[in-house]
Amino acid sequence: MTPLLSFLNVSKRCADGGREILVLDRACLDIDAGVSVGVYGARRSGKSTLLRLAAGIALPDSGTVSFDGADMAQMSAAARSRLLRSAIAFMSADDWRANAGESVVDHVATALGSEGLTMREARHRALRVLDQVGVGAAGAQETASSLSLTERTKVMLARALAREPRLLVLDEPAQMPNLSDRDRFYALLRSATRERGMALLVASEEMAALQGLGVLMSISDGELCSTEERGTVVQMPGRRRAGAERPGW
Amino acid sequence: MRGPSTPLRGALLGLLLERPGHGGDLANRLAARLGETWRVDTNDVYRLLEQLEKTGLALSRDEPKRGNHRRTHLVYHPTEETSEALTLWMETLLPREPVRLGLQAKLSVARQEDAPRLLIALRAYERECLVLAQLVAPNDGEARSWAALCMECTRDAVYAQLQTEVDWATRTRRRINEFLERDQ
Repeated sequence: MTPLLSFLNVSKRCADGGREILVLDRACLDIDAGVSVGVYGARRSGKSTLLRLAAGIALPDSGTVSFDGADMAQMSAAARSRLLRSAIAFMSADDWRANAGESVVDHVATALGSEGLTMREARHRALRVLDQVGVGAAGAQETASSLSLTERTKVMLARALAREPRLLVLDEPAQMPNLSDRDRFYALLRSATRERGMALLVASEEMAALQGLGVLMSISDGELCSTEERGTVVQMPGRRRAGAERPGW
Repeated sequence: MRGPSTPLRGALLGLLLERPGHGGDLANRLAARLGETWRVDTNDVYRLLEQLEKTGLALSRDEPKRGNHRRTHLVYHPTEETSEALTLWMETLLPREPVRLGLQAKLSVARQEDAPRLLIALRAYERECLVLAQLVAPNDGEARSWAALCMECTRDAVYAQLQTEVDWATRTRRRINEFLERDQ
């Protein structure tokens, strides 16, 4: 079966002053439909680059990123942009941009602009998704720009879910002051993606935020470490004598 | 041999290879090398040295004490097997809980040639911590009772510990890699 998202030896470099830095180093990763993956990493570890490559926002310098079997680098910029408005949703807490005076429901409905829906149909779908993320009818009429951080995050999630993507990519989505709110948001995220059978790739600087996800990975210096690799790296080839026993310490 | 003293046994091999010493000297060097967070029991060191000698990994000789040549003490030396045993220990991956101590002990006496083994061990440890984190049941943010709150806090403690461990492992790998790059 073709994985929904596949990274094969993906590397990405960026300029830092006069020299080049390897931001992602030969990353390999397969995510099937319905699988949730959490990536834990500190700042400047390469996790945002990984997510931007997964969403097709950036392209690798070497290696292949494929979505549903299609090489992203072979797609036109327009095709990748269409993908990002349909089958892939990307959400980053830094991306919050609400128009002045815009209501929450309109903010979500405008994300559906490319779906060929009337505004009335788009609002109807927006209200349904907002309800699913815990924003009721009254909250949907509030002004989007005046929302608290917690409510804003829920609305961003609703906006991402409204297009019914097959892959949801989230970069540090829940920067909330209240820990219970954060836990509730992640519980909501887990159930929303599970119910829809969508794949989830989410990165955070806090390992606790990634609790309950199907697969946990870490990234540092652009190098991915996955629980899925268990047992593949066990011992060094060495100077061990043939038949010598391993000490049990 | 298994148990809490096993990392000390491996570290003693490294110290013996650096230079021979009597039991008290090796215990002092071990304590200095492992740092304040590790309580080194001198009796454990003597017992481990006897075990190492029985298994052919150390050799003791009665030698005159420095400053008092009329009295002697047992000085432990490495054997031909010691270096290979240290290499084997560096390569050996350990089950979960004692690994951090084992890795710390390995780092304390590692030779530069052990760098690839340390990098593999650190990565395996990082992966093991991720596996453990994956096993922890998630909080749902709905702690309605004091008992539920305490359970959430306990899970947080586990995550905090595992995150620290992963950070330590990645930082140590980075230090080793940076050193190897500079040294090339």
